[in-house]
Amino acid sequence: MLFTARANRPTRLSALAAELLLNSRPGRARPGEAVLARLAARRSLRSAALWGYVFGIMVVSSALSYGQIYKTGAERRRLADAFGSNHAASALFGPAPQLQTVAGFTVYKVSMTLMIAGAVWGLLTSTRLLRAEEDSGRWELVLSGLTTRRRATAQVLAALSAAVAVLWGITAVMTIAVGASSSVRIGTGSGLYLALALVASAAMFIAVGALASQLAPSRRQAAAYAGAFLGLCYGVRMVGDSGTGYQWLDWVSPLGWVEQLRPLTNPEPLALVPIVAFTAATAALAVGLAEKRDVGSSLWPARAARPARLQLLSGPTSSTVRLGATSGVWWAIGLAAGGLAMGSVAKAAGTSMAGSSVQQVLARLGARGSGTSSFLGVSFVILAIVIAFEGASQLSAARAEEAEGRLQQLLAGPVSRTRWFSGRLVVASGTLLAVALVAGVGIWAGAATKPPGVGLGTALDASTNIVPPALVVLGVGALTMGFWPRRTGAVMYGALAWSAFIDLAGGFFTQDHWLADTSVFHQMASAPAAGPDWWTNAAMVGVALLAMSAGAASFARRDLSDE
Amino acid sequence: MSAEMVARPQRGAPAIMTEGLTKRYGDVTALGGLDLIVSPGEVLGYLGPNGAGKTTTIRLLLGFVRASAGRAEIFGIDCQRRPVDAHRRLAFVPGEANLWPALTGAETLHLLGQVAGRVDSAYRDQLLDRFDLDPAKKVRAYSKGNRQKVLLIAALMTRADLLVLDEPTSGLDPLMEQAFRQCVREAQDRGQAVLLSSHVLSEVEALCDRVALLRRGKLVETGALADMRHLHALTIEADFAGPVPDVSGVPGVSGVMSDGSSLHCQVTGPLEPLLNVLVQGRVSRLISREPSLEELFLALYGTGQPADEAVRIGR
Repeated sequence: MLFTARANRPTRLSALAAELLLNSRPGRARPGEAVLARLAARRSLRSAALWGYVFGIMVVSSALSYGQIYKTGAERRRLADAFGSNHAASALFGPAPQLQTVAGFTVYKVSMTLMIAGAVWGLLTSTRLLRAEEDSGRWELVLSGLTTRRRATAQVLAALSAAVAVLWGITAVMTIAVGASSSVRIGTGSGLYLALALVASAAMFIAVGALASQLAPSRRQAAAYAGAFLGLCYGVRMVGDSGTGYQWLDWVSPLGWVEQLRPLTNPEPLALVPIVAFTAATAALAVGLAEKRDVGSSLWPARAARPARLQLLSGPTSSTVRLGATSGVWWAIGLAAGGLAMGSVAKAAGTSMAGSSVQQVLARLGARGSGTSSFLGVSFVILAIVIAFEGASQLSAARAEEAEGRLQQLLAGPVSRTRWFSGRLVVASGTLLAVALVAGVGIWAGAATKPPGVGLGTALDASTNIVPPALVVLGVGALTMGFWPRRTGAVMYGALAWSAFIDLAGGFFTQDHWLADTSVFHQMASAPAAGPDWWTNAAMVGVALLAMSAGAASFARRDLSDE
Repeated sequence: MSAEMVARPQRGAPAIMTEGLTKRYGDVTALGGLDLIVSPGEVLGYLGPNGAGKTTTIRLLLGFVRASAGRAEIFGIDCQRRPVDAHRRLAFVPGEANLWPALTGAETLHLLGQVAGRVDSAYRDQLLDRFDLDPAKKVRAYSKGNRQKVLLIAALMTRADLLVLDEPTSGLDPLMEQAFRQCVREAQDRGQAVLLSSHVLSEVEALCDRVALLRRGKLVETGALADMRHLHALTIEADFAGPVPDVSGVPGVSGVMSDGSSLHCQVTGPLEPLLNVLVQGRVSRLISREPSLEELFLALYGTGQPADEAVRIGR
């Protein structure tokens, strides 16, 4: 069989073919397999380095801001008391020991976020380099001349471990650099250990992604399996940290092991043993399975056939609803869970920061009112950004329909471009409103667990209030798609990222600075503390509609543009 | 309904009519001044090398891109200004089968049928049978050929008055190619018009009444295949018992190859001068045949002497 033929020593011709295939310089031919590792490294090191900086900046900013926000011992103790014994908070974000120290605060602030971010990066990267390559057929080209499936998989994993090393290195260097500051004081050894704890989940989930790539029939499925496992790991350690007597569950979950490393506070290097063992065993299993299955197949086969479900397939707009339903439901689940989490810690967070300088910082973000409601105000700002991303992703999907040629099939029928485009925009706007309301209900339900909570009407008003900026982002996308289709994603996500950056960095400059006005989120009232400003909202919706109409008009006139 | 009134064809309007249809991208002219007519019930083969402007023409006819100059009508409806009305009369199969991977074949056909607004469901079932397609499978699991079948069935099941087919058989095996030819013949018998852009010359030869040949955005030839063959070189093969006469100076003769006892050449125009020379030798065997479409195609588009000659003579 073609793919089981062992190529212990690739022939010169196939090695050369592979060199050419992989866009390397044939003059510097190396043993064939290193080419594959180099290619994988090239495709992962840049994102590893980028994430390394993000990890580093998170650590640096947390460490430096602590001293500025919590100036006095009293403030620090109040923070430690509020969160140290708050089981809801520790279930969501992990245990919070020693919040009265810079080190303890920094670890608490960054650990859960970066642990999840690292895991997601890891599973996306390894499924991309393993399963997506296979889906596209490139993997067959590589295997046909170069190496065996087992070794090719091992090569990619070797390259990915180099990427993890880069992630660790950059995080560690930045941690150690900020650690030298007199207000922080984290030693070299502690800095290396902290960085190791922060990247451990990335290493484990690279291996999980590699295993899922063997099990699943497509990259999308592989990422979904690995993501589901991540969710399970999070849930298990959530119970472990909830203070309900199941502490031992922390030792069952890979994310729990990372928590048990307890960097800077109470280090427990023994927790490295299961982390390393799990990573090695999972990676070895993935490599072993790669040899066992046929290329392009999976151990858990796809359900290729099913009875036809004809609901919502009656035209371009209803099929948009049908085809987007799955991702819409996931967004709703994610936002409901996020809202629930924010709501349930709102009271504790509000209490801890009442009267502290945190509140001044939040006030500069536009937060008003008591501690609880100003925390909720900031929560809604974050939800506004997330929801705007949801809207942007829907417009990207519309553009992808055009770019990938599927739109032709609809427009060849008696369907006007205006009808198709406005249908997409209506569905996108409706979905935005729906997920925003779901998030609002989540916040309300979460807050209700800690009386007095927040009124349902207030929560829904506040969640309606975050829709207009997302509509403006959608409008920017529609306008770009009308006039400059190939740049749709870049312009829309660029505007969104810029706005989010300006808004979250709002603490650095005063509220009425002209730069603040460049953010689509800036005009949004800080509900629930302040009531929504419906006039401003109407103006934003008007601007969005104007942009969408102009975009739709140009889209109806221009040439279709596919890649 | 007023839309229906507007969509009603002009009596006797051609299925496709273009006048000076032109598309420029910056300095590049993708299509220059195309004049083309396809009548109802006619199958037109639309030929040309890659990049000649075939797909551009189709995108203009569908209103997917805007014409730089000229106009195009489908059953008398301006397809640039009123694409929706024009689309009520046609069905389209693109060369690349891009579909929604999460839908099954049956769901895709349902959606496309709903969009088109008319489906002959008995014919659809028959087509599923003929093309041997399992509609329960998801598009993600289909091979390229099967995805192409979905689009062919989607177009044919509408029984549209005009079928616009852009290299519709890429990825189909020979059995399915036969099924496709059968369907096109049936469509023609029903009075449907077909614009068939294709690289498969045997397919065009088998199906088309007329062909239009395109090169670098210009129409170089159009006409019935039979007429076109007459315009072009006949291939002459002759064996001789004695020495082979020298025919290189004879008017209309080209591509002379001789190996001492046999002769192979092309001739355009009157045969008489060549025959006069040939009979001076002792001819033992003489074959003359019309060029196949492939030979025409190669003569038109191949590089070298015969091509230029053919183009000059053709126009």
